[in-house]
Amino acid sequence: MRIGVDSEVCEAHGQCSIVDMDLFPLDDDGYSAVGPDREVPEGEEDTAKLGVDACPVRALKVLS
Amino acid sequence: MTVPGIDSVDLTTPSASADPFSVFRALREGDPVHWSEAHRAWLITRYDDVSAAFQNKAFSNDRVRPVLERKRQAGAESAATGVLGLMTGWMVVNDPPVHTRLRKLAAGAFKGQRIAAMDEMITRIVDEHLDAFLRGSGPQDLISEVAYPLPATVIATMLGAPPEDRDRFREWSDELALVAFGTGGAARADRHERALRGLREMESYFHTLIGKRRAEPGEDMLSALMAKEGDDRLTDDELVGMCALLLFAGHETTTNSIANSVLALLRHPDQLDRLRRDPALIGPAVEELLRFDGPIKVLNRWVVAETEVRGKTIRPGERVHLVLASANRDPEKFADPDTLDLGRSPNPHVAFGKGIHACIGAQLARMETRIAVARIVERLPGLALAEEPEWKDVLASRSMEKLVVTHS
Ligand code: HEM
Ligand code: SF4
Repeated sequence: MRIGVDSEVCEAHGQCSIVDMDLFPLDDDGYSAVGPDREVPEGEEDTAKLGVDACPVRALKVLS
Repeated sequence: MTVPGIDSVDLTTPSASADPFSVFRALREGDPVHWSEAHRAWLITRYDDVSAAFQNKAFSNDRVRPVLERKRQAGAESAATGVLGLMTGWMVVNDPPVHTRLRKLAAGAFKGQRIAAMDEMITRIVDEHLDAFLRGSGPQDLISEVAYPLPATVIATMLGAPPEDRDRFREWSDELALVAFGTGGAARADRHERALRGLREMESYFHTLIGKRRAEPGEDMLSALMAKEGDDRLTDDELVGMCALLLFAGHETTTNSIANSVLALLRHPDQLDRLRRDPALIGPAVEELLRFDGPIKVLNRWVVAETEVRGKTIRPGERVHLVLASANRDPEKFADPDTLDLGRSPNPHVAFGKGIHACIGAQLARMETRIAVARIVERLPGLALAEEPEWKDVLASRSMEKLVVTHS
């Protein structure tokens, strides 16, 4: 599974990072540092989905 | 710029507590960055400004230490400085790097909790309270019977406290609020003293619980909080502070989130019907209820460096109030902001704050509010308001005294 953030859309709500700060790191200003395409470690797919859903502005996507 | 009526704005009068939203509208439109004499603070009411303030390093969360230092300089070492000492260690009143370390350690413990197990535990506790509620008849207070006891019981359970001790968590939570926010009136000094004694008891209770978990770790969150992160871990005193913070931050907020949600649904029967017809809407519905009438009206920040917001100069030593409840009704951000639309999406409300301090318990709070509201709506089909609720005259929270309802 791969996830990514659209940094044009991210507004630094930090809700993704509350779900899991390792899967959804933030930069120093609170914006998502997930990057455009990141691999989700095996076994963490459900958490990744929760984090993607937690974003109030839908900046995060499951890519595959 | 001045607008009639705005100059004397006071958010803690009964009329402003009953309907803060029209005051917020006037401020947003007339003077969105407003110096309030009544509050001796800046009121920031537009979404964009509140949102930017969360990232502005001129605004600090380090609010308790200065008070404590003043008290200590005045030579007053007392029970009060003891409790303030405990609170100074809370991540929510610290800036980086102290905040960063505590937040990381706490986030690790939240992450370790199993969602399915939490879901089951919360549903069981909600249903127990609703069983008792359904046995009663006539008008009953949904806050004292359901919304108030629920979150304290959930936190006590998550920390692994034995069931028979759970009632004491509620008392401690009330006592923490009393010391943190103070109360008015003649009973004040007396109640304050009693609260401080109660909190000493709380500290020794948590120390004992920590001792037990160190000897015999469990699946609970306290055991998870003890775990090492790399080569760092929380000390026993820090663990006591963390337990107290989780109780304090997660109790009244969640109570009000449930109660305000139920009230909003009762006032919007079309939306209540919509939720009854489509229970799967509960996720976005709770986000909208948090936006529409969330539990926190105002967050505080201290100003530590000169900064400018919308052309106004804000200076070190001043205080800033970020009015979340106003930002969440800003028409520049939300179409028809005064309309409750349970399907609203996207819904970037700031009821949980934003940035580095954004509510670390948000997932738990969402789960509690979703389960409680869904179960109330499902199990009390005849739910109706029995009397007009009264709002507490407090600045920080949006909180009713009682929510008296009938269910058949
Ligand atoms: C609907 C209920 C809740 C709401 C609306 C809420 C809201 C908030 C807000 C706005 C903040 C940011 C404070 C700031 O920026 O100064 C915050 C922080 C915090 N909340 Fe919540 N909260 C809720 C429930 C909970 C629960 C259930 C817990 C834990 C059991 C919790 C624990 C915390 C903690 C520990 C912080 C401090 C985080 C930090 O400083 O990094 N909250 N909450
Ligand atoms: S929740 Fe969405 S908006 Fe917030 S930081 Fe994560 S990606 Fe960005």
